[in-house]
Order: sequence, then C-alpha cells, then structure tokens
Amino acid sequence: MNKISLYVLFLLALPLSGFSQQFTISGFVKEESTGESLVGANVYLKENLKGTTSNSYGFYSLTVPAGTYTLIFSFLGFQNQEIPLVLDKDIRQNTALKNSFIETKEVTITAEKEDRNIQSTEMGRQKLDIEKIKTLPAFMGEVDILKSIQLLPGVSSAGEGNSGFYVRGGGPDQNLILLDEANVYNASHLFGFFSVFNSDAIQNVTLTKGNMPANYGGRLASVLDIQMKEGNNQRFSGEGGIGFVSSRLTLEGPIKKDTGSFIISARRTFIDLFFGKPFVSESSDISGNKYFFYDLNAKVNYRLSDKDRLFLSGYFGRDVFNFKSPNSDFYIRVPWGNATATARWNHLFGNNLFLNSSLIYTNYKFEFEGGQNDFSFKLFSGITDYNLKEDFTWNPHPKHTVKFGGQYIFHVFVPSNATAKSGEVSFDIGKILRQYAHDAAIYLNDEYEINDRWLVNAGLRHTYFQQVGPFDRYILDPISGNATDTIKYKTGENVKRYSHLEPRFAIRYSINHLSSLKASVSQNNQYIHLASLSSISLPTDTWIPSSDKVKPQSGTQYALGYFRNFGLNTYESSVEVYYKTMQNQIEYEEGFLPENTVNSNLDNYFVAGKGWSYGSEFFIKKNKGKFNGWIGYTIAWTKRRFPDLNNGKTFFPKYDRRHDVSIVLSYEISKRWMLGATWVYATGNLNTFPERVFVLSNGDILQDYGGQRNNYRLSAYHRMDVSATLKGKPHKNYENSWNFSIFNVYNRYNPYIIYFDTDYSNDKITIQAKQISLFPIIPSVTYNFKF
Amino acid sequence: MKRSKYLILSGLIALLFSCEKNVSVDIPTASEEVVVEGRIETDTFPIVVLSKTLPFFGEINRNEFLNQTIPGATVIVSDGTLTDTLLQILPDYGVYFGTQIRGQAGKSYTLSVQVNGKTLRSVTTIPYPVKLDSVWWKVNGNKDSLGFAWAHLTDPDTIGNCYQWLAQRINKYTYGKDIGRQKDSVFVAGLGSAFEDKFFNGKSFDFSFARGTFSFSDKEDDTNDEQFYFKRGDTVVVKYCSIDRASFEFWRTEDSQVQSNGNPFGSPAPISTNINGGLGIWAGYAPQYDTIFCK
Repeated sequence: MNKISLYVLFLLALPLSGFSQQFTISGFVKEESTGESLVGANVYLKENLKGTTSNSYGFYSLTVPAGTYTLIFSFLGFQNQEIPLVLDKDIRQNTALKNSFIETKEVTITAEKEDRNIQSTEMGRQKLDIEKIKTLPAFMGEVDILKSIQLLPGVSSAGEGNSGFYVRGGGPDQNLILLDEANVYNASHLFGFFSVFNSDAIQNVTLTKGNMPANYGGRLASVLDIQMKEGNNQRFSGEGGIGFVSSRLTLEGPIKKDTGSFIISARRTFIDLFFGKPFVSESSDISGNKYFFYDLNAKVNYRLSDKDRLFLSGYFGRDVFNFKSPNSDFYIRVPWGNATATARWNHLFGNNLFLNSSLIYTNYKFEFEGGQNDFSFKLFSGITDYNLKEDFTWNPHPKHTVKFGGQYIFHVFVPSNATAKSGEVSFDIGKILRQYAHDAAIYLNDEYEINDRWLVNAGLRHTYFQQVGPFDRYILDPISGNATDTIKYKTGENVKRYSHLEPRFAIRYSINHLSSLKASVSQNNQYIHLASLSSISLPTDTWIPSSDKVKPQSGTQYALGYFRNFGLNTYESSVEVYYKTMQNQIEYEEGFLPENTVNSNLDNYFVAGKGWSYGSEFFIKKNKGKFNGWIGYTIAWTKRRFPDLNNGKTFFPKYDRRHDVSIVLSYEISKRWMLGATWVYATGNLNTFPERVFVLSNGDILQDYGGQRNNYRLSAYHRMDVSATLKGKPHKNYENSWNFSIFNVYNRYNPYIIYFDTDYSNDKITIQAKQISLFPIIPSVTYNFKF
Repeated sequence: MKRSKYLILSGLIALLFSCEKNVSVDIPTASEEVVVEGRIETDTFPIVVLSKTLPFFGEINRNEFLNQTIPGATVIVSDGTLTDTLLQILPDYGVYFGTQIRGQAGKSYTLSVQVNGKTLRSVTTIPYPVKLDSVWWKVNGNKDSLGFAWAHLTDPDTIGNCYQWLAQRINKYTYGKDIGRQKDSVFVAGLGSAFEDKFFNGKSFDFSFARGTFSFSDKEDDTNDEQFYFKRGDTVVVKYCSIDRASFEFWRTEDSQVQSNGNPFGSPAPISTNINGGLGIWAGYAPQYDTIFCK
C-alpha cells in the first residue's frame, strides 16, 4: 500500500458525524482496597452495550444520547458494579471496584475485557500481569519482567541469562522501553543477567510488537510500556522479599486518604558479600572483586481536584564493579546505571478531553576507571534526555477515540570518551566529545468504529530530528585513517536535520463475536542508534544520534492476523504473519578497533545496510480455571545486506532464529499451593568462525576470517524451569509466601560462547573449540511478605 | 584496557557457576590461500617468504614451517626504475632473496608474485627513520635483577608515524641446558610491538618494553620468573623501526589475535593485509639500532 492511499484512508476515518442531544459520562476507575488506578477496565451501558475502557490513568469518558441507562464497570478479577443513571446532563462518575476473590487474585492471567483480543484493532500487543509473573519460575528467584516478555511469541531472548530482547527481527536498540513515560536506555544489570525493573514497584507491563499507534514513535521494533504502582491511598502497607541474589522492600501508603499516596521501593544484591572471606581465599584471583547493584523506585500522586491529578515518579539504579588486585596495585572501578524522573499532570477539560502533560528527565551513564602505579585511565559514555510531552485523549462519541499531542526531547549524547595520564603527563586521547540533538514529534490518531464489523484505527505522526552544535566533525584521511581536518559547529548551529511523516493504519473485521481478522501497516523512523561491538550486550554499548554521517533508521511493517476465542472466552488464540523492511541499519565497519575513535567521531566507523524479516506467530492461551497458561510458536527469517560487509552478500544476523517455542503453564493445587513451569526452545545463535589458519615465520598462528559472515550456528537453546509457590496461612495483618524455583531442570548445557584455544605438545599444535555454558541446574528459594 | 574488561567478565562468570567443555565445531573446509611475509629494510635486499594456509582444525607442526612454504613462484620487486627478480636459494622451500635493489628511506616498492596461476600484488613505502634519544635498563619494582628496557623518544611533529620495537639479547647463557648459546638467535617482537603516534604526536617522553617471547616458547627463561624481563648482565640490541601504516595495522591485528587466543571473551579481529589476492604483509622498514647493557 502506498503512502497516498494511507493518507486517504486516514482522512476518511476522521470526519465526525453531527450528533443529536449528547451527554458525557466520565470519571476514574480505581481498585477499592489500594486506591490504585485500574487501567483497561470496561465501562459500558447495559441497554445498548456501548462502551469504552479506562486509559492508563484509570480515566474513562463515554458520550451518548440523553436517556436512562445502567452503567456497568467490569474488570476481570473484580466484581462488576452497576450504576443506574438518568443522563440529562454531563455526569461525573468515579468508581472503586472490589476484588471478586481476593485469595485467588494471582490466578487471574490478565486484567482485560474477556474478548478484547477479538474486538480491538490491536495486533502484536500483549499485556502482562505482574501477579501472574510472580508465580512463574524465576532465575535465581529474581522475578524479571524482561525475561517474562521473552516468553511471548515474536520476542526472542538475546541469549542465556540476557534480558535484552529482539522483536520480529529488530535489534535490541529498536525497542522503546518506557518506565512511567521515561526512556530507559539500558534495562539490564550485571551484563544482562537481570533487568532493572523491580517487580514489586511495577503495576502494568504492555508490549506492542510493531504497528504501534501514532502516540508512540522513535523506535522500529516495539514499545514496552511499564507503569509503576501509584501507592495505596487507603492504608499504610508494605511488601518485600529475600532471595538468593537480592532483597527487596516496598513501602506505600496514603498522604491523604483517597486523595494522595506514595510508594517507595528498594532492591539491592548481596552477592558481593560472598567475594570476601570466608568464601574466597585472599590470594585467589577473584578475591579483589566486589560487585553489587541496587534500584530505587519512588512515586507520589495527589488528586488536586476532581479534574487534576499530579504524579511524580523516579527511578535510580546503579551497578558497581570494583576490582583491586590482591597481588599488585592494579585497580578497576566500573559504575553504570540509569536515572529517570517524571512529573505528570492529568487534567480534564470539560468531560471528554483528557490531557496528560509530562516533564521527563532520563540519564544513562557508564564509567570505567582503572590504573596501576602512576598510570590511570578513565573511559565514559552516556546519554541524557530532557523531555516534554503533551498527550490528549478525546472521546467525542463512543465510536470515536481521538488521541493527539506532541513531544520534544533534547538529547545529550556522550559517545565513548577516554582520558589517561601517567604521573603528571596527560595523554592526548582525544577531546571529550558530546553530541546534541532536538527530537520532536506531533501526532494524531483516531479509532473509529464504522459499524459492528469494521473498526479502523488510523494515525499520522510527524517527526523531526536535528543534530546541533557544538560539534567537531573530524575528516579522515582515507589511507592513514588519521584526522586531517575538522569542521567546527557553533552552539546551536545546524549539523543535520531530518523530518518524516509516519502513517499508521490498522483495521479490524469481526467475523462474529468470537473471531476477527485484523490487518495493519505502519511506518516508523528511529533517530538514535546503539553502537554495539561485542558479541554480547554490554553496558559499554553507546547511543549515538543520527548525524551528517548516520542516517535515521526507517522501517515499514505489514501484518495480518486471525483471532479466535473458544469455550466462552476461556481460550484465546491467534495467528499473525508479518513482513518488515528496515533501512539504514548500522554496524561497525569490518576490522574496527575501539582505539580508532581517538581524535575522531565514532560515527566515522559505521557502515549502513538494509534488513528485512518475515515470519508467523502462533499463540494459544487458556485464561481461566485452575490450570492455565499459554503456548507460543514463532517461525521467522531475518536477513541483512550491507554493501561493505560480507562482500555485499546477504547474510543472516546473529539473532536470526528459525524456530522459537515457549510453553508457560500454571496450576493451582489448592488455595495455598501453586505450581508453574516454563519450557523454551530457540534455534541457536549465529557466529562468525575463522575458516583457516596460517603460520608466520615467528611461529605465531593466525586465524583467517575470509569467509561468510555468521557462518556457524550454535546448537539450539532449550531449557525447562519449574516453580512452586506456597502461601502462608491466611493471617489478618499480613500475608507471606515462599517461592521455590528450579532453573534448567534437566541441566542442559546451552552454548553461551564458543572460543578457540591452541593445545601445544611435542611441537604439535592443534586448535580446540571450547564451549562455555553459563547456568546449570540452579535451585532457588525466595521468601515474600506483605503487610 | 581490553584485558581488564575480560577480567571483570571472567570474575563474574566464574562466580556464576559456568561450565566449559570441548566441543567439535563443523567449519566448512575452505580453499587454500597464499600467505606473503615480505620485507625490505633500508640498505638491505628484500626477502619474501611464501606459504599456504592450513585447515582450521588440522595439526600444525611448528618445526615444519618450511614445509608449508611454496617454492617455484616468480617474485618480483620494483622501485619504479629497477626490477629485482628474487632468487629461491633453498631448492625445496619458498624463501626468496633479492640481489639488485637495496631499500632506501622515502621510496616505494611494488611486489608482484606469480604462483599457482595467480598474481598477487602489493606496494610498500620505507618511512624515514626516527632515532631513539636514549635507551637504558631499569629494575622493575622490587625484582632485584629483573627489569624492562626503557627508551626516550622525541616523536616528530607530523601525525601518522608508526613504529615497531624489536629486541635481541646477544649475550650467551652461562647456565642451564642452553649454556654457551646466544640468548636470542633473532630479533623478537613482543606483544604490543607495533604502535602509532596518535596518542603522543610531537611529544617527548619515556616508555618501556617488556621482553618479547615467541608463541609456545618452552625455553627456561620464557617460562619461569624471568619471563618478560631482561636480566642484569644481558646485552640487548634494540631495533627501533619506522614502519608504514599497513605494516602497523598488520602487526596490531596480529597482536590482537595472539592476545585473544584462548580467551573466551576475545573478539579476534581479522588480520589486516596489504596483499592484493592473498594474505600477509609486504613491509618496508627503516630500523635504527641501539645497545643496552643491563647493569
């Protein structure tokens, strides 16, 4: 479908028909026991089944002709509430829903309208229930939402113990990860073994794989939208836990009952305690190691009036690695982490125009400091964003939901920089470079129900990106690779600007009330890029802007899906197929070494190419009953072609996976015992291995990588984990539970890395391939409590 | 720097119960390529060694290096005016010696090799030599008779100078099984032997080098406490060479592979080459010699 026809369809969806005498019912839906906003609650009229769902702040608005109605609020896992009303003027109706079965709340798979998957235009969208995730097996007892989303079809894990993920053939940097609307640039701790999200502080997790609505943008592959809990505004309470790796504590309570609340949550690892005596002898090579990470989440919200609500939230997390050699004065200090702060103000204009204004700060930084004797060096990189966002939601009619708004981000990039000195002499390892960019977007999105069969969601996003000075562009001599000239840009001076229109279009056709067909097309541009050198995801990977050298990435995705529910919505199933093209994908040039960037710009060393991927995702899920869970299967192909890599021939990138299977099961034995199991299978990653060796006259044996890029596929990854959760006897003032998990039950040695070592004996040298597997069978126990 | 990164990872991985095992990897058999190792130094005739690549998992006998060389090739070096067809002196081995052209600083030399119906080509330039201001030996820390070689360099104020440091101990062993033999039979390039002036262009400063050893050396002083050190009493000839950029890139990538051998987190870079149609290096050298008496 070409752009023009998309615009025409978009315009067709826009006109609003004239309405007769219409009034609006609006308000907020929350949970009675804690006062938390309920997101995605169904609000509809019994008489004509016209309805809507509450937005991410719990707000709903429904405009219908005057009349006498019964308004119904429903939410899976909560008791329905029916409110009779006479609609002869605009009405404000806030409500609080009660848990329908408090003890078994954890059984609820998803807090959504039962047939939402059939009725919405949404495709490739999954919402995860935190309480559900908590009963699934967790690696070393650490509940991890990033690992849980890897269990969904179309989402592949980046590797063993890695919280990085690939969506439909896109790289890990093509996922927009938002925590209370703030970008999280590096979502992992400990080189990816754990994610930065403390599940105790999280309320909602929604993943959109492609065809994002126009209110999202800036990434090609997916949006992972994570909302922090708001805090209990009814009473002071807390929860926490102690596991093998970390301990957690969360406290929440009202600032003023029914009006304002706070939540503060902290997590810290204690593995560093095991590096010292008596666990590791002092002369051991690793005795000088000290590693820990911690996270802090905090949020307050306050209802200023019936129409105004204020939220302040923040996240701060750090990984710290320290090493001091026990035998010399060599030392290393490596801190890295994210910080985010969000201030939001919800305001309601009239009864059906909802505005959320956000002011967001986010920062990621990495530092590496080391030295010995007089010599010391420091390496650092990072990114800081200052972000302003205005998002309007307008419900002029139950058939129409219009979203529009805009956002502006000022980015400050610190690509890899280094300083070094020996005694008093500083080495010239390049000026400290920063890059600055304006990043702006406006959008309009309309969801319009044409009739019972057809629902259209059309959107348009206009994006603008500009790199501005101060900036030094080093011009390199093509032969020596040394900078021969520098173009200097003054503060605020234009370096390069880009602007694009991004159409988004999705349509649903209901075959009947149990099945539907959906189709979508979306275009996205991505103006910031992650430069990753190593074969595993490291905190040293640096973010860089589009510039005069690096063009924005752009992607187009076409998707088609069939959705069908059975057994009174007990089972939901879907089949989706997609085809995706990606332009201006970047990689480091062949043979790049990090020291090349001294007195140069990192983006002088990239090559660009294109990529495409296609595949099919199958999903079946049982939502209800003591026994529930899902099975997901993906078959997919991902390809890349770069004129300057692999002799210009097409190659499969490292994470091209032909098959990906995940099975998630849980079974409630009794009110107290709950079992969970997961099984995953994925085609092995690709690696580039040398094809031949040669020997120099000095005896050095060298490897030649002359052949095809990614010429070797590691063996398949598969693993089963099981868990059991035991809830303590019900008690009036507190709850507690034990979670027992076994990771990798059948002790599969999955390949993590294969490397080559030379064996030398009797003047004969042979090369041996060695495989490292990270995690064998690992049992863990976590104790959780709530009061 | 790189090493420290691996160190962190290794430390953490060790902590996280990793497991290692030998596996067999099925790498498709690749065709054979020609490897050139050629050099021309100032005031010296060119020397070129031709050899062939070996299958990745084959057995390599390092004493049989000469058996892997390719005899019978036509090797021609030209300076634009003169042409020197190199002679294969040993009948069965592919080592070729020049007899006509001696290297001169500032001049470029083309190499053409005809072998197995293929023609390989390359060109190199001998840079102008840069002499070290002074050289000396200094005990390292509390090692009472072991130390590194030191030098003072004043780098010319033009960016792009590349150097290679080689050293040879010319005194004889007075103990052990090699008694009476010269400690090093040839110049040895240690790890990090090639470097460029990117970080110190135009500066004047001291630097030190550890003693280089050959890969897999089983000599006594290459495996005991003396490894990497020059010993009090050694006489060391330092060969400090100016090299061109292509040679620097070759040695740098060579180093990076040798260092990352056996390191699970090493991401070995491909070996840089300036040979069109083959692998290896054709290098021009401008050496300057100094002698250190370690005392």
